[in-house]
Amino acid sequence: MIGYVPGRSPLHRAHPYTTLALAGALLLGAFALTQPLEVWLLVMAAAAFAAAGGVLRASARTALLLSLPIWVLLFVLHGLMGAEPRMVVGPVTLSVPGISRALVLGGRVTAIVLGFLTALATASPHRLVEAMTAGGVPFSRTFLLASTLTVLPRMRERATQILEAQQCRGLRLGGSPLARLRALGPLALPLVLGALAEVDEQVLALDARGAAGGARRTALDPPRDSAPQRALRWTVLALVVVAYAWKFWSMHR
Amino acid sequence: MTRLVTLEGATFTYPGADRPAIAGVSLELAAGDVLVVTGNAGAGASTLLLVATGFAPRVVGGTLTGTRRIDARRCGVVFARPWTQLTGLCPTVRDEIAFGPASQGLPAETVLGAAERAMALLRIAHLARREPTQLSGGELQRVVVAAVLAVEPEVLALDDPAAELDPEAADALYDVLPAIAAAGTAIIVATPDLERAARVATRALALAAGRVVAVGAPADVLSGTEVAAMARAAGCPPPYPLDVPALLRRVGQ
Repeated sequence: MIGYVPGRSPLHRAHPYTTLALAGALLLGAFALTQPLEVWLLVMAAAAFAAAGGVLRASARTALLLSLPIWVLLFVLHGLMGAEPRMVVGPVTLSVPGISRALVLGGRVTAIVLGFLTALATASPHRLVEAMTAGGVPFSRTFLLASTLTVLPRMRERATQILEAQQCRGLRLGGSPLARLRALGPLALPLVLGALAEVDEQVLALDARGAAGGARRTALDPPRDSAPQRALRWTVLALVVVAYAWKFWSMHR
Repeated sequence: MTRLVTLEGATFTYPGADRPAIAGVSLELAAGDVLVVTGNAGAGASTLLLVATGFAPRVVGGTLTGTRRIDARRCGVVFARPWTQLTGLCPTVRDEIAFGPASQGLPAETVLGAAERAMALLRIAHLARREPTQLSGGELQRVVVAAVLAVEPEVLALDDPAAELDPEAADALYDVLPAIAAAGTAIIVATPDLERAARVATRALALAAGRVVAVGAPADVLSGTEVAAMARAAGCPPPYPLDVPALLRRVGQ
């Protein structure tokens, strides 16, 4: 699951800035925390964030699928080839600091991916645009951010259509790794060329509708903000600052 | 009649192209005109639309020589594929259509009023609360035309607007063009759909390899098509069919 999923959860109803602030705090927090326990508490926080959005199961599944290759790589790099001391687990000897390092790095990746997927699933691009418009942000920047949030689901949808069309014409997706690699060609070229052609037309269409005019846009239905949400955003910002201060203090004491 | 667009000897070359897409084209467009541009694929009809509405070279790049005078305050353009012209950010048809006026920074009541008028003109008020991505191609193309009309362009360019539509949807789209022109908009349509175009055109222009080969009353210009000539030679009584589907229908009768 990558993309916005309509819903009525607290995160769906929250101001989009609140959702993005929480996801941003998970991202920044992941780099501020250095111990496995701290990082895995952050992963728990990311899971709670997803649960608050009602997308825990789908987000967690996608996050695991995306971070699994990185987990494997981290354990090979740090667990098998890390520094002394080492411990014996069955037929292999593992590096104790390497495992600890892999847990930190893997936890960071998982927390960040889970937080990003949850924000993507619960922050409506339309409400985000309306919030930014009401805040006086120029449309070019608003569109850049909103397009970034919607590009993955759109590309995935287009890729599925192209794959189905190519399979109708005899493309085989199975077989050896080399055969699978070869099958990427008939997918990648139409995907990229189609995307470029569509972007070309969309630029003209948006220009024709005054998007590049430079006037301050009218927000027709801006999402409601509230004092508790503003307080929450300031609190998570303060927590991030404290976490970084703690990190630097720990490094230099 | 207010003259809105004047081209005199206009020649346009796309970036990197070794020959011009249109060469030495002269035309005038006035309020209330419905000018149909015809020609084989690659004749330059789509390019002529972009040049006449000011999008080439301003948005697409390239070089324009000759004289171009655009007296229209605003020009709009509609392409064949409706889904590439959506903002991708609006959850309802009403929001999609209001996007253009909102980009001009007009008061919210004015924005919504413009959207309502455009929806009424295109007879899609019943779709106002629907999600754009859930509409049929015909409905979506009318939404796109309404979205462009909502910014009240004085010149409306339609590039093969019925290419992706079924016959009923194509008829419905062409049927609203006279009402739009009567409201004071100059319309320029590039299309191979000569039968429908002939129903609404006030003038026609035929292009071949980027050059004007005929311009004048639709009956004079369009009856020069190969299909019409074949029908005439075969002793078919007028009005002559202008394209192959119309010829087949006539033969069937």
